[in-house]
Amino acid sequence: MLDRNAVTFAAMVLALGATISDAWVTRALAWDDGLYPDLKGQWRVVGGPMRFDPGKPWGPGQEAPLTTEYQAIFEKNLKAQAAGGQGTTPTYTCLSPGMPRVTNGYGQIEFVVTPGTTHILVQHIHDNRRIFTDGRDWSAAMEPSFLGYSIGKWLDTDGVGRYDTLEVETRHFKGPRAFDSSGIPLHEDNQTIVKERIYLDKDDRDVLRNEVTVIDNALTRPWTVLKRYRREPDARPFWREVNCAENNNHVEIGKENYMLSADGLLMPTRKDQAPPDLRYFAQSKP
Amino acid sequence: MRGSIAAVTMTALLTMFSAGAQAHDESKYPDWSGQWRRPPGIANQFDTSKPPREGQKPPLTAEYQAIWEANLKDQAAGGQGTDPTYICIPDGMPRAMNVIFPMEIIVMPKTTYILIEYLSMLRRVYTDGRSFPEDFEPSFMGYSIGKWVDKDGDGRYDELEIETRLLKNPRAFDASGIPLHEDGKTVVKERIYQDKTDPNVLYDEITTIDSALAQPWVVTKKYVRELRPLIWFESICSESNQHVRIGKENYMVGADGLLMPAKKGQLPPDLRHFTESKGEATGATGEPKR
Repeated sequence: MLDRNAVTFAAMVLALGATISDAWVTRALAWDDGLYPDLKGQWRVVGGPMRFDPGKPWGPGQEAPLTTEYQAIFEKNLKAQAAGGQGTTPTYTCLSPGMPRVTNGYGQIEFVVTPGTTHILVQHIHDNRRIFTDGRDWSAAMEPSFLGYSIGKWLDTDGVGRYDTLEVETRHFKGPRAFDSSGIPLHEDNQTIVKERIYLDKDDRDVLRNEVTVIDNALTRPWTVLKRYRREPDARPFWREVNCAENNNHVEIGKENYMLSADGLLMPTRKDQAPPDLRYFAQSKP
Repeated sequence: MRGSIAAVTMTALLTMFSAGAQAHDESKYPDWSGQWRRPPGIANQFDTSKPPREGQKPPLTAEYQAIWEANLKDQAAGGQGTDPTYICIPDGMPRAMNVIFPMEIIVMPKTTYILIEYLSMLRRVYTDGRSFPEDFEPSFMGYSIGKWVDKDGDGRYDELEIETRLLKNPRAFDASGIPLHEDGKTVVKERIYQDKTDPNVLYDEITTIDSALAQPWVVTKKYVRELRPLIWFESICSESNQHVRIGKENYMVGADGLLMPAKKGQLPPDLRHFTESKGEATGATGEPKR
């Protein structure tokens, strides 16, 4: 499997490499770290990662400004989840939550600020983000991804000669993605645009704020929420390695989701779920 | 009075400024920026100077040589042997440095980050002078402590020495399943340095000390810097993984979404829980059992 992936990757590089003109190798440049806000350390989301809008209750309580069509999809998903299914929440197979859901802060977060790129490293599934701050423009040939392609700009909003806010815009997505574990859907056209303003709280430098605005065709208007993250006091924090696939008891076969029981046997996730079709075993028997 | 306020304000501003200001004199460190890849034509075997699989001739103990050979037979029959990554767990160390997909190295004063675009594998190499912790949760990537060295005494670091411990299993050296000892007591020592004549070539001399080995296994990896426009691909193993692990068995999902055996004569999964829940289950013929 790995070798096949490597071949696929090489083919994609060859196919796209000649057409991308705005992402050349960034050479190391001496830079003044003091120009940037101190985002060092380990951050954890305030209020838990289960809700997209941490200021409102889970699920219908989020009052997501969905179109009629997508509100119906959301409600159908809630019924499926209540019956033991996964609805429109795709991450049970260990896919990346994608944007904007990774801003919910499922794991420990670290910001690594370099002159051309701000890395947001999240100890979760596949949540590490690169935010390019080297002045590049959008590329039409970009391969869509769950996390999207992020371009950022550092701002000195109060004019003291030091950056205090990172503005980010993220495009070029693929699906499936949802806003949070309740399955609030994004449009299947994947034309989502996510805008963020990330800045330290003026009164508490151990609190980081992220104003997240999502523009998506599943929404009747842009949806803006405010997230907060708190810096852990430990100067040498413990970073927990998280591997979704290691202990994932969900098994996806075709379009069906099953579970593994404690004894390692396949079991249904909902009442009266049909077992998998085993016709190929009949053919393979010696 | 106004002077006092101004002084206090200035002090506050300076305090705020200095709290975050940790000037990073990047000129002390080598330029390892950009994207690093395996050289063209080099596959994923652990020792890239030798052919893959049996050609690796790893210095295994007799016990682990037997385990590896049994694994090779299992792989030849369609199994996965002792290569555990088919379920999308990380390669772990030292296999991660086979760099199946491209790698980025971010050098910061206290930590060097190594990001590998397969499963978002991330190594934090601490260069802040710390020692190994007494009690620490093991992980596939392990706990890495590094030290910058100025080998040629020109006042600039040119080599990063790393020691990695506190690893957990299962891991293998490469896709051929060359095993590491189940005791998980692997120690990996690395020397990462640039080619003296070509700054776009990076070497990693890796020494693995493991109870499955009769002697330390030393290999030198070579990486080349990508000079074309950079593309970072999101690589998510589980997105297109056709392997399905049920209990201790590995099955496959066919293009039609149906479960199929990975090996000739493999028994289908036990569906007794469906029998309990529904009163009927699909048999090996695909027809309901009556």
